Amino acid sequence: MTMIMAEPAERTDLEPAAAAPVAEMDLVRRAQRGELAAYDELVQRYQERIYATVYHMTSNHEDANDLAQDSFIKAFQALKSFKGGSSFYTWLYRIAVNKTINFLKQRKNRVHMSLNDLDFNTENNPDLVALISDKTPRRDAGLKELQEKLNAALLKLSEPHRLVVVLHDVQGQSHEEIAQIMDCNIGTVRSRLFYARQQLQSLLADYLKPT
Amino acid sequence: MNENNFEALRQLLKLKRQETPPLGYFKGFSGQIIARIRAGEARGHSSEVPWLLKLLQAFEFKPAFAGAFASALCLLLVFGIVLADRPDSSIQPMLQSSEHLSGSFAAVTPAVLPQSVDSAGIIASTNPATSLQPVASLFGQQNPLAQQVSFTLPGN
Repeated sequence: MTMIMAEPAERTDLEPAAAAPVAEMDLVRRAQRGELAAYDELVQRYQERIYATVYHMTSNHEDANDLAQDSFIKAFQALKSFKGGSSFYTWLYRIAVNKTINFLKQRKNRVHMSLNDLDFNTENNPDLVALISDKTPRRDAGLKELQEKLNAALLKLSEPHRLVVVLHDVQGQSHEEIAQIMDCNIGTVRSRLFYARQQLQSLLADYLKPT
Repeated sequence: MNENNFEALRQLLKLKRQETPPLGYFKGFSGQIIARIRAGEARGHSSEVPWLLKLLQAFEFKPAFAGAFASALCLLLVFGIVLADRPDSSIQPMLQSSEHLSGSFAAVTPAVLPQSVDSAGIIASTNPATSLQPVASLFGQQNPLAQQVSFTLPGN
């Protein structure tokens, strides 16, 4: 099963809940009463996005697996405290993000990258082939090398800056939703995004063709 | 800020979307979580992290908390040492108070005991033979609370 996400069209804040708002709140209420089947449904609904965010923050599959699972379990344990002030999705994201940032603070200098999880079809993806050949001056750079450089550059950013880039540029979330997840205002999100992009641009200058 | 300035970077960041977990990874994902929740519930509160571990984790994440806790412990230790080093100062007020009380004890003690008490063959008087004086103990220390009692044998 691959985890290729949708194209970068920005999602609105309430999109996950808007898909089935009543059903989600119903599931949450049932899960709050201890119905594990309802919580299983919620996990299945958001597992890929939560995993992806954690993975892009850590660049390690095993860590992402543990953190994503721990986040869902912690969310279940804290479910009674969820009052519905935000969407369940945003609340869940906050838990996962906080857990990941705490983990990264612990890990600090221990850098792992598991890049052998590439989708085998990626090399034949025409869009990506075009991306590499058109957008990078170093046309001999392979996909794997690019990903390694990209991950290394991302890991050089601070956690808040990396998170903004991952949520916005990789996962396509809106500024508003990122502000809710990170519990800051939109201006802060925009400035962090700008700074992070500047940093990445200088770190990846060899692989970026000037526009 | 101009989004176009970063268009090439955004295109490059799309590569991250191709990083996928192993095939079939999400099939058992929710099942594992539910199993872990069930296992945790089965264990109940005994599965909770011990308080000492929680404290250590708090120290790990909040160095300021660790510093404050260590400072509090040091203060407690210093306070204990200071108290332990001042035994004289704590005994002196006791001595003074016992001297002060000796007069009042004498005032309430009856001077003559009734003869009916003599049935035991020994007349005991609780009148202090002397005022409260520290008595030397076997170990060369004076016991501030000890006081002499005089006994009057019949016929004497």
